[in-house]
Amino acid sequence: MADADYAALDDGTLIRLIALAREDALSELYDRYVRLVFSLALNVVGDASTAEEITQDVFVRVWEHATQYRADLAGVSTWLTSITRHRAIDALRRTGARPDRNAVTWAEVAPAEEPAVGGPEVATTLALESARVRAAVSELSPEQKQVLVLAYFQGLTQSQIAEALGMPLGTVKTRVRLAMQHLRAALGDLALA
Amino acid sequence: MPTDDHVTDLLPAYALGCLDEEEAGAVVVHLASCDTCRAELRTYQATCGELVHVAPTATPSRELKGRVMAAARQARSTQPAAASPSLPERIAGLLRLRAPAWGAVGLALVTLLIVSNVWWWQRSTGPSAVTLDSGMRVIDMAGVGAASEASGTLVISDDGEYGTLVVDGLPSLPADRQYQLWLIRDGQRTNGGVFSVSLEGYGALVVASPDPLSSYPGFGVTIEPAGGSPSPTGDQVLAGTL
Ligand SMILES: [Zn+2]
Repeated sequence: MADADYAALDDGTLIRLIALAREDALSELYDRYVRLVFSLALNVVGDASTAEEITQDVFVRVWEHATQYRADLAGVSTWLTSITRHRAIDALRRTGARPDRNAVTWAEVAPAEEPAVGGPEVATTLALESARVRAAVSELSPEQKQVLVLAYFQGLTQSQIAEALGMPLGTVKTRVRLAMQHLRAALGDLALA
Repeated sequence: MPTDDHVTDLLPAYALGCLDEEEAGAVVVHLASCDTCRAELRTYQATCGELVHVAPTATPSRELKGRVMAAARQARSTQPAAASPSLPERIAGLLRLRAPAWGAVGLALVTLLIVSNVWWWQRSTGPSAVTLDSGMRVIDMAGVGAASEASGTLVISDDGEYGTLVVDGLPSLPADRQYQLWLIRDGQRTNGGVFSVSLEGYGALVVASPDPLSSYPGFGVTIEPAGGSPSPTGDQVLAGTL
């Protein structure tokens, strides 16, 4: 199969081909999602070379475990980012770095995306999705964003967040809950698509 | 499960993975038997899945792709010998990630296990059930049938009363199916509790049992309708003996 054909395949088909050890399928999946995976890893660990190691680890893991992917449970990008986040937070904990509330940043405005390497359709979908999520997040209060950052990108528990920010645990719990409820309402149809 | 006992308020934080141990344990136990909360959880998990988009977009070096493709080729050629991490590594990873979260009892048991080098050594060379110096018993559960790559570890407390099951490598199931543990004695199979596994195949269960767990010589896990069955109806995926 030529490269052009792979670019036309949907994510689920690519994963099935990866399970059959088709390297071209892995190459295409990489082109589609490497920036998403790398950006997430980088935002967690804050270091490009560690983020590249994690990115490599994620794609090799997908290569080895593609047969375990269940399309009925999560989209391919959700699967990839879930693995990435766990790996990255794991790496962060191994370094024993102290939680740094300023280490992580949010991108709130729709960025002028460089044209992605993957198929144009996937790139457009990702760009639109990204813009909507960033818009929804920009509606949160700074305090709500702060607790979400520490939980999502740094893997802190609610009591660790309370300690890091010097605020009551009850306040942290309320902020987490309200922030997530707001995002769920704002992104509902997108997230379940 | 009583309906006034839902864990609705804890689900956003559970989906984010930021609940503290004790609350997370309560959620895990509740989810095992509550369709309503499982469905609610899925909506928050989907929301969490979208959060990746707020990381500022960055691009890795051009050389990375070559390294990934080379590593993939390498991994394929050395499978299965070196491909998967050892069970100790996986359980250690599981604890660090709190995914799934642990009940307090399970956490204490497994933490003890991990510091027990003797047990790790025995596990790689010894029998399928081991009694530690502390009196805790550790039972290997092996994958069977279509789940031959799965593995499980059942840890029973020194007094034989409490148990925690940790599984790895089991396929995630559709929403209307769950795994169910069976306690086997004299050909009778008693419900030991139901559980689900993460997308990565990890799962854990704080075992509920009418009699001390040490009084059951055999254990099995089957796939059942969500919420469990009175007796096994689905395919068996794990088996172990005391
Ligand atoms: Zn419930």
